[in-house]
Amino acid sequence: MGALEEVKAELARVLPPDAVVTDPAELATYSCDGLAGYRTTPGLVVLPTSTEGVASAVRACSARGVPFVARGSGTGLSGGALPHAEGVLIVLSRMRRILEVDPVNQRMVVEPGVTNLAMSKAVAAHHLYYAPDPSSQVVCSVGGNVAENSGGAHCLKYGFTTHHVLGLEVVLPDGSVVELGGRTLDPPGYDLRGVFVGSEGTLGIATRVTVRLLRLPEAVATLVADFPDPSTAGEAVSGIIASGIVPAAVEMLDNLAIQACEAATGAGYSLDAGAALVVELDGPREECLGRFGEVEAICRGAGATRVRVAGSEDERALIWKGRKAAFAAMGRLSPGYFVQDGVIPRTALGPVLARIAHLASEAGLRVANVFHAGDGNLHPLVLYDPDRPGEPERAEELATRIVELCVDAGGSITGEHGVGVDKACSMPKMFSEDDLAVMARVRAAFDPAGICNPGKVFPTPRLCGEVIGPYRPHPLELAGVAERW
Amino acid sequence: MVRGGGAVQVVRPADLAQAHEAMASSTAAGQLVSIRAGGTKQDWGPPLAPAPDLVVDTTGLDALVAHNAGDLTAVVGAGMALSRLQERLAGAGQWLALDPPSQPRGATVGGLLATGEAGPRRHRYGSLRDLVIGVTMVLPDGTVARSGGQVIKNVAGYDLAKLLCGSQGTLALVTEVSLRLHPLDAHSATVRIPATPTEATPLVVGLLAAPVVASALDWAGGALWVRIEGSAGGVRSQVEEVRSLAAEGSAPSAVLEGEEEARAWEELARIEAGEEGDTLAVATSLPSQLAEVAEASDRAAGEVGVAADLVSRAGLGLHTARLRAEDLGAHAGFISAWRRAVQRLGGTVVVRRHPPGLEEVADLLGPPPSAVEVMGRVKDQMDPGHRLGRGRFSPWWL
Ligand SMILES: Cc1cc2nc3c(=O)[nH]c(=O)nc-3n(C[C@H](O)[C@H](O)[C@H](O)COP(=O)(O)OP(=O)(O)OC[C@H]3O[C@@H](n4cnc5c(N)ncnc54)[C@H](O)[C@@H]3O)c2cc1C
Repeated sequence: MGALEEVKAELARVLPPDAVVTDPAELATYSCDGLAGYRTTPGLVVLPTSTEGVASAVRACSARGVPFVARGSGTGLSGGALPHAEGVLIVLSRMRRILEVDPVNQRMVVEPGVTNLAMSKAVAAHHLYYAPDPSSQVVCSVGGNVAENSGGAHCLKYGFTTHHVLGLEVVLPDGSVVELGGRTLDPPGYDLRGVFVGSEGTLGIATRVTVRLLRLPEAVATLVADFPDPSTAGEAVSGIIASGIVPAAVEMLDNLAIQACEAATGAGYSLDAGAALVVELDGPREECLGRFGEVEAICRGAGATRVRVAGSEDERALIWKGRKAAFAAMGRLSPGYFVQDGVIPRTALGPVLARIAHLASEAGLRVANVFHAGDGNLHPLVLYDPDRPGEPERAEELATRIVELCVDAGGSITGEHGVGVDKACSMPKMFSEDDLAVMARVRAAFDPAGICNPGKVFPTPRLCGEVIGPYRPHPLELAGVAERW
Repeated sequence: MVRGGGAVQVVRPADLAQAHEAMASSTAAGQLVSIRAGGTKQDWGPPLAPAPDLVVDTTGLDALVAHNAGDLTAVVGAGMALSRLQERLAGAGQWLALDPPSQPRGATVGGLLATGEAGPRRHRYGSLRDLVIGVTMVLPDGTVARSGGQVIKNVAGYDLAKLLCGSQGTLALVTEVSLRLHPLDAHSATVRIPATPTEATPLVVGLLAAPVVASALDWAGGALWVRIEGSAGGVRSQVEEVRSLAAEGSAPSAVLEGEEEARAWEELARIEAGEEGDTLAVATSLPSQLAEVAEASDRAAGEVGVAADLVSRAGLGLHTARLRAEDLGAHAGFISAWRRAVQRLGGTVVVRRHPPGLEEVADLLGPPPSAVEVMGRVKDQMDPGHRLGRGRFSPWWL
């Protein structure tokens, strides 16, 4: 009996019958996450309902060196939950109990399969919410959020998952169960919770998550300002930051993105604007509304052609609906498109967009831009026609060149979608061999056998070919004191 | 500092290359290494043991490498004193949102990262852990590595900066730190509400539930201190809201501004920082447990006959007890009694600053967490010879 067969037999014994999936047709439904370009049918799928169930599955794998992959809701956009053909996919979606709500201390303990929005809904009556709000919040799981260090439109002011997770119960790759962090701050020892968040399922499986909750703001004010072009809109953002305001959110759409959002939602964005800026402030009423007046003035001063202030909660919701529809709406403009995710220093927006436009015209393709303008997270959408020979390949190449451009501008290959399989081969663009080797050492401390979500995050010769990415100088070389070593 | 007859060697690298050189040569020589920056917290936690052969002084790594005001980011050498950094940033109306008690004594960014020390405004901004966006480090074997970057939003690769936060200089030498900055607020006021911990607890809970955004929410010296910062109108209205919440229970509150406000916070920071010979122990709890933690501290202090001053980051559930009597036995007695009580509440007690010799009579770290084995393996991976900061996590690992 092969190792995987042994795992199957053991798990059929220890898990309830409906928690073990072996039917090929059903297995195939788990073959990809939100990045459908990569597909692998898992060797086995299990759906445990408890920490003990997860630990049993992991122990069974660990005993035989069989790889395993965690999966939450499968909305990941970098192939992080791509299964292993000879391995076990451990699906957490049946672990969706809210275990504890402590409104007084503004904490909550949940199982990993609970969706992001369900957490906020469960505490709304206490005027509390869970701050990180990825656009996928209706569906994505908090376990997936932890693995990806997910953020949303409000993260410039409120931070990412890592700022809101206090404690984790984790099944380590050897099947043992430990607590990382805790319910109180500053538990003694190394901050392993800090490394686990954002590790994309490569260090273990989170089976319980303790988060802190925030008081809902007393006031929220939102406006949409139209600008002739993204650069001018960028100037307005600079003005807002320079006046000492940290907006709850600043989002920018270029004209192509506006066209798509309007077609899909009719949210009231101006079709003739070169760029639209959504600015939201929140906080104590006086503070929020006083500064909101300043924001309006700054937008006008920077050359806004129209400023629309949301006059009601419904209008605010509609503005956000338009913005959040951006990715899905692109289907109305183009039969195929890639959603890219890169980060630039916000102030480099003008030159970077110009460069993207140049690359796009060289490639004969259109690129729409959606931008978390406060924190520099750029989402270029590369449009293509799948039926035109060569176009998908050209589009993919353009998308890759755009993230490289982000790195060259001093940014990052990913702001929220993660590395997964998708960008593992781009990691050497950002990190030296030594940088990656040190990360691999940390990984080895958690997973010496390398069975926990293998083939993700780290570039491998198998995935990327023998030559991994172009050479980038090491900090020591930049300092002019070392040769390549 | 002398060990085995040989003098301790001190190197003060001026750049990354020299830092790499120092660490790499320590490997060849098999030296025990410790890192020193401002030197304000060398008496924190379990002591270095045995004494190191090589001390790496980071104060030469003190450049403000970049300040990208429009991006709200800065890159600084790890040895840069926080107060000097704040002066430089203030020109652009910004600051690193960190106000640790050791700042006036010369604490550096790298030292603060390694110890995780923060001050009252942690209530609003978090600690350095929440503000660091990238690091450059040199491992004990000389390997130079970076994690994170220079942008606020970035999920590429493991977040090793978090691992270094609070690592007490035992995993790697941090040479450079990228930081997320905040704008300086134009106005500030502090409401001082006289209250015992028992009276203060419902107020703390009430303030957390109110839509007030406080910068700091501390209990110390017989009062709750609520700091509000922002625009003139925002501060005025929130101060009123805090005072009306306070009026329901206790003695009349006072509003401090300007010089008076600054002096009050300086005084609280002095208590929290302690002096040579003091023991500072930090308890963690839920915010609603302030009264119980304070009562346990009083009881423990009474039992062993020491005076314990408490400074509580009340909104966060972090409580620093300062013991002054120079009686190690009494300090040890306090620590174990307080820890027993705090553990029953679900919290922990860890000793920070302490007089030499306390480690012989008291358990400074308390019981190891369930993940102690993985932590030990992380240490093994980063520093296989356990040469860096040896002793700092004793008895959990070498
Ligand atoms: C339309 C759309 C919009 C999106 N918008 C955003 C956005 O605004 N911001 C943002 O950050 N992301 C966004 N995403 C990406 C995605 O939703 C997030 O990465 C999300 O956190 C993934 O959660 P999931 O439950 O779907 O995880 P999955 O896709 O199932 O898994 C993601 C990764 O997490 C690991 N994992 C899952 N559960 C666990 C666990 N319990 N323990 C350990 N590892 C685990 C998996 O192995 C995998 O590596 C969007 C995706 C879509 C499709």
